[in-house]
Amino acid sequence: MGELSGRVAVITGGTRGIGRAIAEAFLRDGASVVINGRDAAKGERAVAEIDAGDQVCFIQGDAAVREDCDRLIDETVARYGRIDILVNNAGGSSNNAPVAELTDEAMDNALKLNLWSTFWCSRKALGYMIPQQWGRIMNISSVEGKVGKPGIAIYVTAKHAVNGLTKSMAHEVGTLGITVNALCPGAIETDMMKDEGAKAAESMGMEYKDLLDWFASESAIKRLNEVEDVALVASLLASEAGAGITGSMISIDGGSSPY
Amino acid sequence: MGKLEGKVAAITGGTRSIGRAMADAFLAEGASVVINGRDQAKGDEALAEMGAGDRVAFYAGDAAKQATVEGLVDFTVERFGQLDIMVLNSGGVVNSAPVFMMTDEEWNLEIDWNLNQVFWGMRKALQHMMPRDSGRILVTSSVEGKIAKPGIPGYNATKHAVNGLVKSASKEVGTTGITINSILPGLIETDIVRSTGPDSAIAMGLPSYEAMLDVFTQESAIKKCNTVEQVAAVAVMLASDAARNITGCMFPVDGGTMPY
Repeated sequence: MGELSGRVAVITGGTRGIGRAIAEAFLRDGASVVINGRDAAKGERAVAEIDAGDQVCFIQGDAAVREDCDRLIDETVARYGRIDILVNNAGGSSNNAPVAELTDEAMDNALKLNLWSTFWCSRKALGYMIPQQWGRIMNISSVEGKVGKPGIAIYVTAKHAVNGLTKSMAHEVGTLGITVNALCPGAIETDMMKDEGAKAAESMGMEYKDLLDWFASESAIKRLNEVEDVALVASLLASEAGAGITGSMISIDGGSSPY
Repeated sequence: MGKLEGKVAAITGGTRSIGRAMADAFLAEGASVVINGRDQAKGDEALAEMGAGDRVAFYAGDAAKQATVEGLVDFTVERFGQLDIMVLNSGGVVNSAPVFMMTDEEWNLEIDWNLNQVFWGMRKALQHMMPRDSGRILVTSSVEGKIAKPGIPGYNATKHAVNGLVKSASKEVGTTGITINSILPGLIETDIVRSTGPDSAIAMGLPSYEAMLDVFTQESAIKKCNTVEQVAAVAVMLASDAARNITGCMFPVDGGTMPY
């Protein structure tokens, strides 16, 4: 019997990358898991690949849209009877540019996808977690939630804000059996990074490869992180022992962040 | 199959409280463990309680002494053939006093116990681990490694210092298979806290030991102390092979106490 047996987890954007690795880790630990994403075909494919029967399902939705966030949480409860673990994992940024050239739309989109989605899903999930006096909220932030690189201000701003939201929420529900933490990974070469990294690098005035090298060079391990690193910490936070860890911004960055 | 099958760990302190919980957790995950402490009788008692047969041993000595910390590494390698996980866990408040009343002797006791121990143990462990290109070093730091309360300046200074040591050393060996991390627990009511807490409360200008516990817990989000089991769970994770990409980290187990 796994550590998370009987628990129900929902992960925004869990069809691939970090969210997918966390989903698989939670399934191994015995939880039921709902993954989410915009693309139903990708979702069904992920569910087939994960191959965990009724223990896993996909609920389509855009984490940057409030109605979709609310529906994701409600449908999770309708399907599995409860929600114990929320991983606010959907995120990223597109149309990066230096602030002097940044559009309102790019900033707004980044805030919707990273910050508002975390707020919407958390608010809705807390409605279920508070009465049951048990919950785990994990916000996938970034090393860029603690430091800031030029040219990706929308991402850096949104992730810093997520860390602030994390701290405040943690104190609000600290005595209610609910923990709220931010996980701050270093750069990981996920599909999303491959898609958006090149454009981000352009905004930073460099090649994609140089961007990856820059992240790696700032670490102690001199290489990028991996999705499994984040899943390892997520499993610990979800466990009973995780009850003592809240309001934290945990660095999973190979020694990159200064604090 | 345990997460630490075949691994060998050494823990300064370890007969009780945090170190003991780590030892128990490591044993449960399949590791062999050497615990340490000053008192042979307490060590024997711990071994009997742990009931792990040949997989656990006790090394007697004061962790504030270089010979003990280095001797622990040699003893572990001699007994179990290798050292995979070095936990520099022993430590605490020796003397509670505001800076203007602190003597050199008192100050040095805390430097030796909390800081030099970590340096001696880390250096010796690295000398063993670097040729093998593999290892885990864990330091039991504290929330007081990032924040600070009045009346325990030696503890605060040394816990801040070990965090600096961890950051620097983790970068030195970052491209090897060795990781070095600090764990920063909030207040836990260990035997040591129960024995030195009343003096600390006085030095902090508080009316009682209970008042001191309140000061710590009220700073947290959970409004209660942490537990040794919570720290042990983090230690197991960081000690595992899967944690190869987590290093130089100040890992919090503080119920939401630290501001960063």
